[in-house]
Parts: sequence; structure tokens; C-alpha cells
Amino acid sequence: MSTTWHLPDELTERYATGRLDPAQVMSVEAHLARCGRCRAAVPYEPEWLAASWERVADVVDRPAPRLAERVLHRFGVPGHVARLLSATPSLSRAWLAALTAVLAFAVACARLVPGDEDVLLAFLLVAPVLPVAGVAVAYGRHVDPVHEIQAATPMSGPRLFLLRAVAVLAVGLGLTGGATLLFPGPLGPSAAWLLPALVLSLGLLALSGRISPLLAGAVLATGWFGAALICHAVLNDRFLPFHPAAQALYGAAALALLPLVYLRRRRLAPGEPRWTRPQWTRP
Amino acid sequence: MDPTPVDTTVAVRALTKRYGRSTVLDRVDLDLGRGVTGLLGPNGAGKTTLLRCLATTLAPDGGEIRAFGLDPAHRGQRTGLRRRLGYLPQDPGFYPHFTVFELADYVAILKELTDRAERHREVRRVLAEVDLADRARTRVRKLSGGMKQRLALAQALLADPDLLILDEPTVGLDPEQRMRFRALVSRLGESRTVLLSTHQTEDVAALCERVVVMNGGRVVFEGTPRELAGVAAGQVWISDEPPSGSALFWRTADGRYRALGENPPGGTPAVPAIEDGYLLLLGAPVEAVA
Repeated sequence: MSTTWHLPDELTERYATGRLDPAQVMSVEAHLARCGRCRAAVPYEPEWLAASWERVADVVDRPAPRLAERVLHRFGVPGHVARLLSATPSLSRAWLAALTAVLAFAVACARLVPGDEDVLLAFLLVAPVLPVAGVAVAYGRHVDPVHEIQAATPMSGPRLFLLRAVAVLAVGLGLTGGATLLFPGPLGPSAAWLLPALVLSLGLLALSGRISPLLAGAVLATGWFGAALICHAVLNDRFLPFHPAAQALYGAAALALLPLVYLRRRRLAPGEPRWTRPQWTRP
Repeated sequence: MDPTPVDTTVAVRALTKRYGRSTVLDRVDLDLGRGVTGLLGPNGAGKTTLLRCLATTLAPDGGEIRAFGLDPAHRGQRTGLRRRLGYLPQDPGFYPHFTVFELADYVAILKELTDRAERHREVRRVLAEVDLADRARTRVRKLSGGMKQRLALAQALLADPDLLILDEPTVGLDPEQRMRFRALVSRLGESRTVLLSTHQTEDVAALCERVVVMNGGRVVFEGTPRELAGVAAGQVWISDEPPSGSALFWRTADGRYRALGENPPGGTPAVPAIEDGYLLLLGAPVEAVA
């Protein structure tokens, strides 16, 4: 719409210096909205305007944090780390829903048939494998669709893997621990999965520099179930893997694996290409 | 022909990669400088394997890479190289539930842009570069193939990389987007090292100061696009009848026949194009189009 009337200089100056009452401001701004000539006459600082537009654009474009990001942020995790973790395959809603369903089923069975040793044994055998499975599918070419892109970034390799592994372990152990508290009876027997879970998780981290986490997880889970089968079939004691003596063994193994994982932390690079030393050197 | 650029930024020596008994890269030597270099070759020539080695996502079995003096065989230097690298893989994957902005933001974090304001400014910049600014809030699963390709290109541009590795970047782009892409890449190539693989000889002609042709895991040509076309000098002919003695010929849009090799009966010489030189280098028989 064209206009023939324009703001007098004196009015423009009073507007720019904030010396108009609200009604006059509204009137002036209504005119400025449709008059380019008067808009151009209002003095402004280009840097301030550019910064303001940038702030506006940031608010408009910035995606709202996802639920997982908001939860992590509440626990003090920095925003950029929370965003990185929100892409972890084993922290997806589907994965967490499946994990929760398995644990809820175990708790429901234990409460419906209190004192049933089979239910407790099944829970104790499966519980240590759950966090291991989460770490196994947290990082790698075969489980992460963006792996090829992220493998060429400086954050890839041990840094990202360890970050994701710690988050998945925390969530996995937390949820399984919560389920344990809901089990009927004394806490001790139903919490006997914790140390095996720690040992298996640390074992996966220790192995992951040499083989893929998926393969390491499969090897460890097979070994764990195989050992339980041997205890049952050969030694005739289904609960042998959870006896106090076995727990002491797990504790010692965890203490041995912790420094090993720490020392090898820069080599825990699943999916990271194994570069050999140059075979040929430029003259 | 001097195949070594004056200001070499990336040097590859005797690079070898095998999968089982198959040798995909066979002692490849290559020098890259600032500017855009096109990598041509048929499927299975080793282009993607070479690009993945340069992008540090695949380790070679032998040989050596130096990029900006950094050796990716050393862990620390590999990370240093990744800080200067932008990589568009052949099959870029995405998180379909992420928005365009979130995906670019995610990769920006992986590139160590941790300050939110700076990172978001950079994300908006690269999305504007590939004309996706108005799709920032669209979920990736709702993007067309061309838009996904532009998003993949945008993430490669994050953090202003010195070395851009683009594996078939023009796949899925329509002609207008391809023109925009060419303008963008030629501008980037003024101050950076850009290596792109493509099947499109038009892209090479329009964009690249240098061209490398691979076949069977080896570099069979390295030079300028004009020199590649020059390979076919005196061997390109136009005739009205299908040439019987020539293995390389096809019917053109005007109904005549373009033949490579010996002069067919009634043939008149034609100005060689990059495609002619490329085809002669590969020696691939071309089916005559009836």
C-alpha cells in the first residue's frame, strides 16, 4: 500500500529515542510497517539489528529438546552431550520400551508366583545381559545409520563409544535396579545379578577394541549362559553363579577389569579402522 | 603433463586395499592440491574405497596417506585430520526421526562445535548454502531424495573443512540444484582441496581443474579435463551410417553416429570431449543405440 504522508523528522527522532507515549508508539509503528521510506529514516545500529535477527532465527529454528535430552539435562548433562546421547540406538524409545516390558514381565511373574525359584533364576540370568546388550548396539556400523558420517568426525571412536556406553549402562542398570526393588522377598538374592552385570559390561568394553561390540556382546552372553548351563547340568546347582563365593569372584574380576579398561580407553574404538604402519615410505 | 599440483595438500603413496583375494586399490599414487579434483571411473574401479581411506573411515592394507602433513595411521594425527575434513559418503544414513536442523546440529557437535550459539549459526549457514533453510524443522523421513542429498552435503560443509571429500554428490539432484551445487563447490574449491567422485563427465567439465580416472583399482589417468579430452584427439568421428569396424560408437540426438577409434567410411573428424577420452581410456565397448 502506498502512502503520501510521512513521519516528521521530529516524530521519528522522538520515536527512536523512546520519548513517545505507548499510543503514539503504536501509531508510529503501524505507519512504519507499511512505509519503507520512514523505516529507512529510523536510525539503528547494524550490529545490534544483525544480532537481534540472529537471536530470533535461533529461537525459531532451534529444535525443542527431546524428552531424553531434557531428562539428561536435568541430571546436569551439558546440552550438546545430551543431544549426542539422544541419537544412541539403545537409548531410543523402542529400545527402552522393550527393556521396560521385559523387566515388568519379570516383576509381574515374581509377584504372581511369590517364592518361585524358576522366576528368580530366570531374572538373575537375564538381568546381567540386558545392559550388555544395550552397550553392544550403542555404537557401530551395523547398528547406527549415521555411522559412516560420524566415523569421519573427530568425536568418533573411543570418545563417542565410551560416552554412549556409560549412558546406556547407567540407564540399563538403573531400570534393572528399579525392577529388583519391586521383587518380593529379601533384596539380597534378587540383586545378585549386579556384579555379573558389571563384569560382563566391563568385559565388553575391554574386548571392544579388538572386536566389534556386537560380537563381544554375543560372545559374553553365550559364555554367561553356557556357564550357567554347566552349573546346572554338571554341578547340579542352578544358583551356583550367584553364590557368595561367585560374587567375590565377580568383584575381583570387576576390580581387575576396571584399570584395564581405563588403560585401554583410547583404544576402545569399535568400528574404528585398524591402520597398519606404512608398508612403503616416500623416499 | 605434470600430474603433481604445485601446492600438494594431500599425498597418497602406494595405497593398497584388499577384500579377500580381490585387490580393490592397487598401489595407488595420487597428489591433490587446492581446487576441485574429479574422480572418474566405472563401478568397482575403487573410487569409493579410495575416498573412504582418505576420509579415515577405512584403513588401507598398505601404503601411506599424508593430508596437510598429517598421517591418519597415527591416532592423534587421524583426529587432527578429521578436524579439517568434510565427508559426504556414497550412502549417507540419517536418523529419520530427527529434523533437518537436529541432524546438522548433531554432526556439528561431532565436529566439536560445543558452543550452542556458534554451532546454531554454523548450522543455519550450511543449510542456507544448500537451500534447505526453510526445511530446518522438517523431519528427515519426510525429505525427498534430492533434499536428503543436500542435507548430506550440508553436514559435510560444517566447521569450514579444508578437505572436502564428496562421493557422488550430484546423485538425486535436479538440473537446477546441480547448477547451484556446481557454483557452491567451485567457490569452495578456490581455497580448499575438494575431491569428488562422479559418473557425470559434465560435472567434471564444469567444475574440476584436475581429473583422475581409475580403473581396476589403479589410477589410469591424472591431468586436466582438457588433457583427458585430448586422449581422444584424432580418434572421434561423426558419420551418417553406423560404423562397422569401430567398437565404440553411439547414435547422437541428431540421428548421426559418433565413433571413437579409426575413421569409419564417410566419417568426419569431431572435437573430442571428456567423455570420449574417458571411454577410450577404459576401452569399454559401447552398445550402438538403434
